[in-house]
Amino acid sequence: MKPVALTKIGIVLSGFALSTMSANAAPNDARFEKANSEYAAGNLKEAISDYNTLVQSGEWSANLFYNLGNAYYRTGDYGRAILNYERALRIDRQHPEAQANLRIARDETRGLELTPSLFERYVGAASSGGFIVAAAGLFWLAVLLLVIPSRRSFLMSAIVCFVLSACCAIATYTLTKGPRGQALAVIVRNNVEARVATADTARSVVALPPGSEVLVVQPRGDWTYAALPNDQRGWIPTEAVEKVQL
Amino acid sequence: MNAGLLIVSITTGERRMRSLVLIRITLFLIGALITGEARAESPSVTAVLTSSETALGQPVQLEVKIKGTSTVTTPQTIAVDGLQIALTDTRRSFEMHGLSSVESNLFYGYTIMPMKAGTFKIPPQPIRAGNTTLHTPELTLHVTDAANRGITRGNQGATPNPIGGEDKLAFAELVVPKKTAYVGETIPVVLRVGFNSRTRVLGREPPNIGGQGFTIQKLGQEDRNLETIGGRSYLVYSYKSAVSAARTGNFQLGPVETKALVLAPRRGSGVRRMPFDPFDGDDPFADPFFSDPFSMLGERREVTVKSETIPLEVKPLPAGAPPTFAGAVGNFSMTADANPKRVQVGDPITVKVEIAGRGNFDRVSAPNLRDESGWHKYPPSSNFKQDDDVGISGTKTFEMVVSPNEKKSALPPVAFSYFDPVKEKYVTLESQAVPLVVEGNGPAGPAIAAATPKAPTAPNSQGATSPQPPQLLPLLRERGKIVHSFAPLYTQKEFWMAQVFPLAIAIGLAGWRIRRVRRSNLAAMRAAGFQRETDELLRKLRRDVLPPPEYFSDASRVVQLKTALKQNIEPGAVDADTAARVFALDAERSERMRQLFAISDELRYSGKANGSVSPDHRREALELIESLRT
Repeated sequence: MKPVALTKIGIVLSGFALSTMSANAAPNDARFEKANSEYAAGNLKEAISDYNTLVQSGEWSANLFYNLGNAYYRTGDYGRAILNYERALRIDRQHPEAQANLRIARDETRGLELTPSLFERYVGAASSGGFIVAAAGLFWLAVLLLVIPSRRSFLMSAIVCFVLSACCAIATYTLTKGPRGQALAVIVRNNVEARVATADTARSVVALPPGSEVLVVQPRGDWTYAALPNDQRGWIPTEAVEKVQL
Repeated sequence: MNAGLLIVSITTGERRMRSLVLIRITLFLIGALITGEARAESPSVTAVLTSSETALGQPVQLEVKIKGTSTVTTPQTIAVDGLQIALTDTRRSFEMHGLSSVESNLFYGYTIMPMKAGTFKIPPQPIRAGNTTLHTPELTLHVTDAANRGITRGNQGATPNPIGGEDKLAFAELVVPKKTAYVGETIPVVLRVGFNSRTRVLGREPPNIGGQGFTIQKLGQEDRNLETIGGRSYLVYSYKSAVSAARTGNFQLGPVETKALVLAPRRGSGVRRMPFDPFDGDDPFADPFFSDPFSMLGERREVTVKSETIPLEVKPLPAGAPPTFAGAVGNFSMTADANPKRVQVGDPITVKVEIAGRGNFDRVSAPNLRDESGWHKYPPSSNFKQDDDVGISGTKTFEMVVSPNEKKSALPPVAFSYFDPVKEKYVTLESQAVPLVVEGNGPAGPAIAAATPKAPTAPNSQGATSPQPPQLLPLLRERGKIVHSFAPLYTQKEFWMAQVFPLAIAIGLAGWRIRRVRRSNLAAMRAAGFQRETDELLRKLRRDVLPPPEYFSDASRVVQLKTALKQNIEPGAVDADTAARVFALDAERSERMRQLFAISDELRYSGKANGSVSPDHRREALELIESLRT
């Protein structure tokens, strides 16, 4: 086959791929608009359904979760409202609307929050993405400083960059694997109690209002073993808790 | 009945005891002699009370059992101030252990009639058994005031009324310690069902209590005891429970009812009256044993046992209950603690409160903080650990999470109220304030909302100046940046793909650096070679042993090498002028340099120089070369 023919086939396939992507994006934009209209009209169930369809499509955005959280809040489902605000903040940690509404929802439910460590308090303002980009940039800068014809000041600067890069990498690990990481989950049901064993009759450890934060330690069928606020642990009905990270 | 232990009992009554006992003892002693020997072991004595608690006017039984002897002397009465204790029953039994031994047991039943309330010690009693004297253990009997809190039995009498006609097969009774109670008060009760020891219980249902207006706890563990009631021996099953009145008024508690299937002696197998009775009714051969040798098998009878009801007056709780009263009736104590004791504003603190005592724990609810201002309470969890069978006494533990909304120095006292039915008044328990350190400022909600540049400020949901409920910030009309994963950036391949560019730059720079170093190394090696050659040639020149052609050839070579080292050029390209310029020689020395090169060329190409080459020429050449500084 001639190279010209191959080029033409490539162009056609690329065009097809682009048109397919735009064709997928267009209905999702329309659905997002429709969900917003349903919300504005007070049809909250329909709005939630449309937002959830978008969530299932895998095209996520902080604004999508924020709007979904608002819809849940207005239906009185504060647990899921908090869950979706948390998801919005997971995508965009500086999302101001999600931060504000999350605080309002928390004040409403008085859900229990996990106590962050001192380190997490300091690094919590930035996203893990920001830290990993900084870590990578500092690392390569240190490499360049080492490669460039040696001067003593360059060597010291390279060492400083390596140390800062390591700090950023630790911050990234803390944000992704720590309490705010993959195990973070939110109570989405009312009248949930963590218990010492996997039975409804087992002794209660603590009552968890909707929106309370827990860390999923080990899911086991209908029950999930979780780390609770105030350094406690207990079993929670699996259906009553949802992880923040999808 | 234990299969390995055949127990045959011969019970002696007061009136016909002699003849019957003689016959039966004779028969079994014959059997014992045939099959083995009577067991002869050291005598022992045990003494038990059928109940360690009773009420004034309610008798209890003291049973003394002596083993291992047949000749016993016991006191007819026991002197204890406040109690009347008299011997009322005597029995003897033989236990056959297999076919080889027979054990003789003697039972002496004393009836104790309390004459006044209090706690009484029944001192050890001497029992003369053969040649030895045994002593019963000291026993304690608690007697309550019957007038106020006397035990009321379901049969309204001191002894229950067994059913079953003459056979008096079974009875049931309900023992209630008081006749009046308060609404919600938990009253312990005892259900007793007795079966004549001559019957064999094949099956029975657990008893249940009738009556309305009460909640009844499930029955506790069964307790079996052998009691003598009305001169007859009964196997009594006791169950502890508790009732709680749900409303005020006069009620009838009970009856206690149960059904059982028993194997009873056949009807009509009693004592037959003969026209001519030489024994005046005490004919030993009129015993059922002789009329029906297999009477031990008996007949199956289904009996329904029912007690009488107990009247109970239920009074309302008095007015003036404290605000913290939630229905607890009984007698309680409380302890409280809180952890952690150093927190930030908004952090949770677990308050653990233990309420122990006796009462209606199902109505014991979580205590309240005396001052809840500045605190937020979460729903408490509770756990009850009971100390008895029916859950009247125990410890209920509450774990309640609270969070401070502002700086605090202590957790306020925790208050719990209950009604004490004995003192007939409300009691409020209050814990000590728990010192705390609460750091930080108020919640960050308003600050976050205020920092939002493109949205209206969210109202303070806790501030006193903002009574309106908080308003959500509005929807966002744009979808915003689309992402397809929550996974961290470093787990995405795009991130690592992007690292290729700085990696390529770094590799390029590293290659350039390596090449440069390598080149630098070559120049150094070249210079070192030149220096070595220069030194070697200079040593030859100083020895002055070379013939003229070689001497001046080496001298000019040294000049070329020194010039090459200084200027980093090829030695072969160096002539006299180049060397003079590189070393900035003056005119006189430059001329000498030219002469040096000219002599060297002449000697090299023609084999001789123009003119003579004196030793002075050599010395001057050497001086000139050594004056060149690289």
